[in-house]
Amino acid sequence: MIWKLSLTGIKSRLKDYTVLFSGLVVASTIFYMFLSLAINPGFMSKDVNAPGQYLSFIFGFGIVLLAIITFVYLVYANSFLLSMRQHDYGMFMMLGAKSSKLGLLIFCETLLTGILAAILGIIVGLGLTALVSKLLISSLDLHITHFQIILPNAILWTLIFFVVVFFLAALRNVHKLVRSKVIDLLHENQKPIKISRKNGLRVVEAILGLLLLVAGYYIMGMPANAIFFIIPAALVTIVAGSYFTFDSFFTLIINLLLKKKGFAYRGIRVFTLGQLKFRIRDYTRILSVISLLFALALGAITVGLNFNSLKNQAVVSDYYDAQIVQNTPAVQKNVDKLDIKSKATYHYVETKKELFFNKADFDKKPFKYIKFSQHGNDFPTYTPTVAKTKDLVTPGNSANTRLSMMLLNGTKKIELVSPAKFNTIQGQKKFITLIRVKDFVKDYPTLTKIEKLQMTSPMISRVLSNTKPFTYQVVLGFASGFEFMGFFLGIAFLTMLASTLMFKVLSGAASDKVRYEMLYKIGTREKMLRKSIRNEIGVLFALPGALGIIDVLFGLRLFKALLPKPYMGIWLPFLIFIVLYFIYYIVTVKLYENIVLKK
Amino acid sequence: MNEILVVDNVTKTYGKKGEKQYQALKGINFKIAAGEFVAIMGASGSGKTTLLNILSTLDKPTTGQVFINKHDVSTLNTNQMADFRSKEIGFIFQDFNLLENLSNRENIALPLSLRGLSARRINPLVDRIAAKLGIKEILNKYPAEISGGQKQRVAAARALVHEPSILLADEPTGALDSKSARELLNTMENLNKHDGVTTLMVTHDPFSASFANHILFIKDGKIGEQMIKGEKSRTDFYHELIAHLGTEE
Repeated sequence: MIWKLSLTGIKSRLKDYTVLFSGLVVASTIFYMFLSLAINPGFMSKDVNAPGQYLSFIFGFGIVLLAIITFVYLVYANSFLLSMRQHDYGMFMMLGAKSSKLGLLIFCETLLTGILAAILGIIVGLGLTALVSKLLISSLDLHITHFQIILPNAILWTLIFFVVVFFLAALRNVHKLVRSKVIDLLHENQKPIKISRKNGLRVVEAILGLLLLVAGYYIMGMPANAIFFIIPAALVTIVAGSYFTFDSFFTLIINLLLKKKGFAYRGIRVFTLGQLKFRIRDYTRILSVISLLFALALGAITVGLNFNSLKNQAVVSDYYDAQIVQNTPAVQKNVDKLDIKSKATYHYVETKKELFFNKADFDKKPFKYIKFSQHGNDFPTYTPTVAKTKDLVTPGNSANTRLSMMLLNGTKKIELVSPAKFNTIQGQKKFITLIRVKDFVKDYPTLTKIEKLQMTSPMISRVLSNTKPFTYQVVLGFASGFEFMGFFLGIAFLTMLASTLMFKVLSGAASDKVRYEMLYKIGTREKMLRKSIRNEIGVLFALPGALGIIDVLFGLRLFKALLPKPYMGIWLPFLIFIVLYFIYYIVTVKLYENIVLKK
Repeated sequence: MNEILVVDNVTKTYGKKGEKQYQALKGINFKIAAGEFVAIMGASGSGKTTLLNILSTLDKPTTGQVFINKHDVSTLNTNQMADFRSKEIGFIFQDFNLLENLSNRENIALPLSLRGLSARRINPLVDRIAAKLGIKEILNKYPAEISGGQKQRVAAARALVHEPSILLADEPTGALDSKSARELLNTMENLNKHDGVTTLMVTHDPFSASFANHILFIKDGKIGEQMIKGEKSRTDFYHELIAHLGTEE
């Protein structure tokens, strides 16, 4: 009988239940997708092409973060489930259901919900992994070929994680409900709100919070060689700073606004402010967590996308696009296909110890190379420079080094001689042709082909492993991997954190219903109620979002040494992120309205 | 006579056509003049709540008309009804319905800010009604910090601060102890006598009803008998009421 009652209870709140369930499915989907990325053997070793240890660290860190946020998320989703069901449970108890039997019912209900969601999530995850990876690979023009979609290990771990979390949640629910008094269960949403009046203490806390945030932001701008100090110190200061700021600073502002009666006494603004005041106090922890996750997620996308700029870096880090040391008809045929901007050929004679160049070639077409310069820990800058004769023959000079790296037997001493002398030198006559094309990225496939065609001996292969097309290829793999990962992690975190906030808001909706009913009764237009809801939830979404954005803006300074321009193109990830976050906000508002404004 | 409330042949039927229907109100007629204190008594299921919802413009009658302060409220749309409530009606609920996240002052100010009054005008009005109801000292406290009796006074202040045409009270003493209940009823009686607040109270408690000067009995969706206090003392009226209830079927 009690099982039947339980089913009817679920049926009567099917809509809320669907929201909850789909939220859980999303969590499981993302968990699977991330695992399928993190433990994808082919993708890791072949596509991302980065040192193994480094990557497993990044992903290990990612998995821990994801597990924590999923756990937090599930806890909130579970409290939403409880808030929906406890009135029913209370009624069953009042009707005389034995607490042991009710305990079993709650346990099974929670665990079953979790397992079903996990399974469904994995199925959706399989489909989405296929779709998203394809979409990302094509839209970002990534070169990823070894990404495996169905991973038994990832399926297994997702299931294990969900079963364990829901087992714990089920135990907690049983414990909470069976120990509670029936009367509390029936009137859970009528409990009084705690009121705190310690304003002085709050001011101290607010100042401390802001100071800690400023300290954290300052620390993140310190020289990169102190990285082992920066990361833990920034983490501690920003976490504590965010917490204190949410706990006091925003409440103080609201108190201030409430005191300004001219502002507060307009429409039901005073009600909205009152709601917010109690909400933010109640949400301190979750808002801090969300602002940090927001920063991490947005940071992941920004940095990931920024790795793309390494590709451009590879393009400008070398002056010439192709070097030809062996001209065959096949090579020539491909060279003809290039859209050439400039071309220079340098002839030389190789003797036992030296390489004699014809100076006339250099006079006609000066040799150019890229000069690196670096200020402090900033990313180096690259300047195309014309090589002077003196520089070209001085061993250790960067012009000399660059030229010798391009030559077969380039370790021999380089000399520049007059055309007259050049013709008298006995030895092996050789040449090198250096080409610059108009658009490197466009000609990149042909350039690679030209290189491959020349690689007929190990020596040539060695020389050609320093060329621009070769560097570009390595960077391409590396950058694509990071870009993919950043995007994936960013979106996953965003979904999770926004869902967490959504459920936190929704789990309070049941108790807010009475307030909205009362406001309606005393003559508040529905439009005004909706506006108040939009504003209230808007602030709850905006505060952690804004703090998260500030965190990212300062946090990106950490990447100054790793990326050329960490702030370049920043609007794109920000836009993507804000749009997605906004969609979550709209969904939350609609769902909340459905609960509190239902007649 | 200046009539504040006119209820003209109001019926209310629940359920759609073709389905099983239930008629909660079967043709209600009565009038309340300005300055009257009327109680509507009836058992559970008699149609009290349905009637109150219609009078308070939260629900519409199936047929018939309701005039409050000469406005036909049965023709108003949702927004107009909300505006009308905020202007013409004051509410006191059984369980106070104060907003716990607002101070008592802010709770009382709410109907005024809803009507777009400036803060400068709001504060003196709140202070005035608070003084009248003896709750000036607790204005800056929160509802959770005061007693049930005080809460209902705050609720009464909120209901009256915007000087509505009529005060609707739904079992106002239902959640109060006897001392607080008596204090509240005395206050309502005084407001009615000295300030001319027209009051309609729905209750099933004869003690509360005895504070009114006119009692309507509602039974099975119809107004049956009526009792008028006239020159009788409240105690006499109460005994008469008890006797009346005792002889009822």
